[in-house]
Amino acid sequence: MSENKKVYLQPTPVRIWHWLNAFGIITLAVSGAQIRFPEYITLLGSYKSVIYLHNTAGFVVAISFTFWFFYYVFVARSMANLYVPKVDDLKTGLLRQIKFYFLTYFLGWENPHHPTPRNKFNPMQKSAYLAIMFVLMPLVSLTGIFMTNVEPLRGVIVMMGGLKILMNFHFLLACCLIAFLPTHMYLTTLGHTPMEHIKTMWTGWEESEEEISDPEKIGTVSTH
Amino acid sequence: MNSSYKNNLLGMTLCSLLLLTPCSLPAMGADDCLMCHGDADMVSGSLLIEATTFDTTAHALLGCSTCHQSIGDDHPGGDSELSRATCLDCHDSLGQEYMMTDHANYATCGDCHNPHEVRAMDAMAGYDMNDKCFQCHEAPTMVDLHKEWLPQANLHIAKLPCITCHTGSEGYEIVLNIAAKQDDGFLSRYELPDYQTLQDISGEAGVLSLIDSDGDNFITLKELKRFNRNPEYRDLRLAGTMVPSDVSHDLSTLDNRYDCTFCHVSGPESLQTSFLAIPIRDGGYQRVPVEQGAVLDALYGTPDFYMVGTTRSASMNIIGLIIICGGLMMPLGHGLLRFLTRKNRQH
Repeated sequence: MSENKKVYLQPTPVRIWHWLNAFGIITLAVSGAQIRFPEYITLLGSYKSVIYLHNTAGFVVAISFTFWFFYYVFVARSMANLYVPKVDDLKTGLLRQIKFYFLTYFLGWENPHHPTPRNKFNPMQKSAYLAIMFVLMPLVSLTGIFMTNVEPLRGVIVMMGGLKILMNFHFLLACCLIAFLPTHMYLTTLGHTPMEHIKTMWTGWEESEEEISDPEKIGTVSTH
Repeated sequence: MNSSYKNNLLGMTLCSLLLLTPCSLPAMGADDCLMCHGDADMVSGSLLIEATTFDTTAHALLGCSTCHQSIGDDHPGGDSELSRATCLDCHDSLGQEYMMTDHANYATCGDCHNPHEVRAMDAMAGYDMNDKCFQCHEAPTMVDLHKEWLPQANLHIAKLPCITCHTGSEGYEIVLNIAAKQDDGFLSRYELPDYQTLQDISGEAGVLSLIDSDGDNFITLKELKRFNRNPEYRDLRLAGTMVPSDVSHDLSTLDNRYDCTFCHVSGPESLQTSFLAIPIRDGGYQRVPVEQGAVLDALYGTPDFYMVGTTRSASMNIIGLIIICGGLMMPLGHGLLRFLTRKNRQH
């Protein structure tokens, strides 16, 4: 009989942040599309309301990002451990994970990475999230904040190359984040069952078939 | 009010006033009047008239005695009560329109329009139209009031004449101006330069030659783009604003101005009629017609002009689409292989 364990992988603050972020980013993407193409997209009502919605969602996502950052850095103190790839990750882990996703997964092999609360992400996830959470998200938030304060921040905007460059930069960063969404959503279905990872982000618990003996995996419960 | 209609009206007014003018009036010309009224050593206050400015007004064409009929040969002696025509004598329909507004309870025509300085709408740059409004309605207060419903209220108030929205004129047009960097500093603001500044830059060819390279008094979109890209003019750039196409003194707000997509929309129907306002020697502006078309695309060439929903770049749209399609490749490609190899994972 295989021993089924449940690992508490996603603490409550992280789950709240994740779903707030998900809802916010989808709102931003749709409202942003309507702001850019008002003659083609009218999903969210009038132009004025969609601008207010976009600005509000932007501030909510930027503030929730700040909370997320401070939670991981100062409360959980696991930001570097979780999100920064280690030397081994870069030397062998990244290649191993790429090999799994693009070859051995199709042959029916197991995922070489087994998530634990202190090592949630595989090397590919770490690299992707590092780029998204430490480059794309801060930049798209900052450019958005600049654009909602054009008159008071005009000097800084000119230093950055002008409003046109700022706006295009914001647009392309947003496109990169939107491009990540389908990949992100698709990868969540690659668990043992298509809903496994999605349930984890809702309940916090993930099923694990491994013997849990490592003290870092505190917070696990055993089920039979 | 289009210019031909305005010229006709002016002509008719002038003729009728001349016919009604009693033959006994002296043949004193404006130059005679300005010998004293243009000299600060001789008169002061409201009697002092800035001759250069007055000469550029439509009222100068009428001459002083058309409005001040009581002036006789013995002026300035013996005529302590100077007669004045009222604005409504000529501007009857505009006056009636104005009288219906709340503004009429607080300000007379002369409170906003000094008859010795007032210029026609097409002799103004656009931004300067707000100078009169700000005499009573302070800009910060107006920003706070508009902020209650208008996104980017401070930008709208800084960049648009109030009468673009608070008007009875359904039509509108774009007025382009040449803005110049104020100093060598990197963060220097761009302001509208006077005639002499632009004349110094353009030299003998004249101010208009900065943009109108073929000298046909007509600006094409290509000429605007060429001006934007000309490295010689890196301290100059185009600035644009929207003004009503007809003169109106109904200062209520047109309903469609509350709809942001009245302006913030792209396409062939919107924002197509434009003029270039060039400063002229005596202080006013001369409007030069610009080719019909998406003139804001030319403004898009300036680094700090961007109008959401209107001046989006087609090439950026394509790059953005490629990025988003790239994001779809992984789920589509991987998902297909996953489906085809699903039997390998049935254990």
